[in-house]
Amino acid sequence: MNKLIINSSKKLLSSSLNKNILKSQTALLSNVVPDNRIEVFVDDKPVLVQPGVTVLQACAEAGVEIPRFCYHERLAIAGNCRMCLVEIERTPKPVASCAMPVMKGMKIKTDSPVTRKAREGVMEFMLVNHPLDCPVCDQGGECDLQDQAMAFGSDRSRFTDNLFSGKRATEDKNLGPLVKTSMNRCIHCTRCVRFASEVAGVDDLGTTGRGNDMQIGTYVEKLLASEVSGNVIDLCPVGALTSKPYAFTARPWELRKISSIDVLDALGSNIVVQHRAGDVMRILPRLNEDINEEWLDDKARFSYDGLRRQRLVTPMVRGHDGLLKPCEWDDAFYAIADKLSRASGSQIAALAGGLADAESLVALKDLMNRLGSENVFVEESFPGQASGTDLRSNYVANSGITNLEQADLVLLVGTNPRYEAPLYNTRIRKSLVHNELKVALIGSQVNLSYEYDYLGDSAQILEDLLNGKHEYSKFLAKAKKPLIVLGSAALQRKDGDALLNLATRLSEKLRTQNGCPNDWRVFNVLHRWASQVAALDIGYRSGIEQIKAQKPKILYLLGADEDLVSRVDGDDTFIIYQGHHGDRGAEIADVVLPGAAYTEKSATYVNTEGRAQQASFVVAPPGKAKEDWQILRALSDVLGNPLPYDDLDALRKRMGEVSPTLTSYDKIESASFLPLSVSLSQKVKPALSKEPIRAWQTELGDFYMTNPISRASLTMARCVQSFKKTNEPVKQTQANANP
Amino acid sequence: MSLLVRNFSKLNPLGSIRSYSEVVNVFGRRSVDTQAADEKKTIATIPENTESVKEVSGHPEVHLTGRLAKIYVPPKNSMQSGTFGTRRWRIDFDNRDRWENPLMGWGSSGDPLSSLQPEFGSKEDAIVYCQRMGFRYVVEEEREIKRRIKSYGANYSWNKRTRVSTK
Amino acid sequence: MTSIVQNFRNLALSIKQNGGLYRSILQLYRVDEIKEGEYIGTDRNGNRYYQNKRFFVGRSRWVIYNEKYGLDYDGTHVDPEWHGWLHYVRDDPPTVKPPITYKWVTPNPQENKTGTPDNYVPYSTVKPKIEAWVPKSNKK
Repeated sequence: MNKLIINSSKKLLSSSLNKNILKSQTALLSNVVPDNRIEVFVDDKPVLVQPGVTVLQACAEAGVEIPRFCYHERLAIAGNCRMCLVEIERTPKPVASCAMPVMKGMKIKTDSPVTRKAREGVMEFMLVNHPLDCPVCDQGGECDLQDQAMAFGSDRSRFTDNLFSGKRATEDKNLGPLVKTSMNRCIHCTRCVRFASEVAGVDDLGTTGRGNDMQIGTYVEKLLASEVSGNVIDLCPVGALTSKPYAFTARPWELRKISSIDVLDALGSNIVVQHRAGDVMRILPRLNEDINEEWLDDKARFSYDGLRRQRLVTPMVRGHDGLLKPCEWDDAFYAIADKLSRASGSQIAALAGGLADAESLVALKDLMNRLGSENVFVEESFPGQASGTDLRSNYVANSGITNLEQADLVLLVGTNPRYEAPLYNTRIRKSLVHNELKVALIGSQVNLSYEYDYLGDSAQILEDLLNGKHEYSKFLAKAKKPLIVLGSAALQRKDGDALLNLATRLSEKLRTQNGCPNDWRVFNVLHRWASQVAALDIGYRSGIEQIKAQKPKILYLLGADEDLVSRVDGDDTFIIYQGHHGDRGAEIADVVLPGAAYTEKSATYVNTEGRAQQASFVVAPPGKAKEDWQILRALSDVLGNPLPYDDLDALRKRMGEVSPTLTSYDKIESASFLPLSVSLSQKVKPALSKEPIRAWQTELGDFYMTNPISRASLTMARCVQSFKKTNEPVKQTQANANP
Repeated sequence: MSLLVRNFSKLNPLGSIRSYSEVVNVFGRRSVDTQAADEKKTIATIPENTESVKEVSGHPEVHLTGRLAKIYVPPKNSMQSGTFGTRRWRIDFDNRDRWENPLMGWGSSGDPLSSLQPEFGSKEDAIVYCQRMGFRYVVEEEREIKRRIKSYGANYSWNKRTRVSTK
Repeated sequence: MTSIVQNFRNLALSIKQNGGLYRSILQLYRVDEIKEGEYIGTDRNGNRYYQNKRFFVGRSRWVIYNEKYGLDYDGTHVDPEWHGWLHYVRDDPPTVKPPITYKWVTPNPQENKTGTPDNYVPYSTVKPKIEAWVPKSNKK
């Protein structure tokens, strides 16, 4: 078995793989001096690596994969599973390759008899106490221990004493509603412990005891209080930590896996949606170094059961008795057409919500324009007094997510990235741990899971920083690669214009005066909603006040569920709601049109960095529901004013005409109009409000239910409940006082 | 395993008429699925890259036209640490409608391509496959994996934040 | 020779038992044959049961359905009590030896409803995969 696997790997290597390896070598080459690299031999094959890399990484460069349990590319080295033992020439014993740095001329033997015997021995130890419950274990089929036991293990054990004493038994721990534990299966790799303390920044998990008595746990029973706790399920190489909502529902080989993106926050994390028989069974992260690395936050990972509850499955029209009644598509369309024919263009308004895709946003705007209305608004407001939404650099995270790892100072304004964009926060944390990044915060004093400099919650501080009056200015002035991250929650304030103005001016000042590299961008907006950047690209404006003042005769809500307009605002307004969940929007509507959720349509979303990505069609929309752009296209037909696109390709072409960034997938269009925007913004002098800047979400309980999908999810409701029950406010902060 | 033909016109003096012995399988290996190279007799004529094999593929026309194939390198399964699955280029077809069987509640599909995920040794092979089958295709370029230099000693450094807080 | 005579006598007997030539033709039209036999009894649906041991087993017991069924008679119109005798499960008809009635035996057996508007339609007992939203009764 062993030989077979190695052989096939060699064959694979011999062909196209060499290209990949060469590529990765040149990638390393590009940022180091080539002379620096040292030569080592992996199975007698020379390979050049940077000094300081481990033997395991050197083998990976050579295309040889070393079996491992405790080692993980994104976590610190632990060196406790011993599975990665390899023979190195002129060493007395096999060496743990994950912790051993390479030395010049090292001759590594990854398939020698000594190596194989070492692996077999380690595997035998590993299986002494591992229960043979693969048939009832949720990890079965995607278990590292299972696979590696097949490839490297022996067919029998010499530890016959546990025929009499039995295997070690460990009590299962209760880690909350997301992570199910079966601690008998634990092999003590401590990946979960390292993840919790390094990436998530919560020291909840740890080990007690030693040797055979070692246990992983939370010391005292408590919730694993982290917004990224689901990742420990992925990390666990065995079935000790599995998913509670997914428990015993499917096997990995039954699932169809479709790559898609997450839309429950504005990062657009890459995911794999796995479905069986028309049911989304689970959602896993998909590796994308530029956005989410290998992680996924709990809301994105576990709120999929919300896709099955509270769904709109049939069109509805409000009858004479004031009740919404199910009907056919035609009836709903004719009811709308009847009202629209009696309204002039200026009496019609549209309001788009946070989960709307770019396709339907374009279709809705085109439809509104054809009806003679320019009133297309987006729920999340964005200040537009100066250059506002005209210049893209004003409303995207210009520096991108990856550049957080290069920055040396991050100033967060009015945001709590830990809950607004958890994976953005883990990036900041990663940079903080490995690159000594400095973080400062203006806004609510929240627990960001790392130490930061708290500047206060007054908007005035921003102005003081700009004028150099604040004592923190000297740190800002010293930063070579500073970043300013403005939360979009802060822009919902009345003085949003002023905040945006100050932040852009401060960014521009830092960029020009601190001697940043030419392509370095300082200003970032961290959005909360997946639709926001696309909506602003397309030309939607913020205008809840305008809607409230105008009292339009007809209001078209495209997934607008944030309770910003209500019946009281316009009593005789005819409200049309198009969306996928029966939430706040559908409650107040006169006509309900059932649309598709993000797993049910091929749709474009632009994330907070301005990167367009496509979500994929995974399962069909339920009942009579249709894809959103198709509904708008069909409605336009009934209105006798058909939109000029019959299929998705034509619509995407139109999107490209509206804004080319919407269809250049997976690319960040660099927007460099910030100097222009600053010069424009200097003309406007909006006043700052005295009100303190507050974060949108301050504790973990707020994080779980923020949109129609997660509000419908039972799993998320359970999370909120158990958070409340444990009564463990994560309010205490580790922040420093002003430096 | 679907067989592909690389363009060997430079090597072969006969031009477009080539023998089975030059068939390269999808992983770029020539050791299997081929016949002895020393027999020069031509057994069959294999079409050029540009020639369509759509008509003889046996797929219903409705499943061939308008299909969008995504050519990509599958990312590592986040549940496991193995990376051998990320060494090939794979084709995913656009997902088509599936429905629930009204009698038994099973998942049904009318799409024969829904279970097809061909894998190739290189991007070019996958593109040739799509061209000859008449699929529209998009190529998702391979993502570079960033490795950072790590050391065991960082766990115990006294002045760095990498020092472990829990054990 | 005797058999021919016998056959004619049987035919005449059958016609007589069926109540004359006209009724016999009607019966022939309805059940495709006329037979003579000993009348055994009538069940609660008004079906009449006959026996003639001259015929071999399988043909020797039969039922003439109540005329109210017309041409739409069906095997399930046979009363369960008589079913046993008719199918040679029992030797004695219920008129001679009434069957034991258990309390789980239904007092009024139903005919087969297949093909009628009252027929049984199977339905799913599984919870639907998608829970639809039900609007609250909020009035304008």
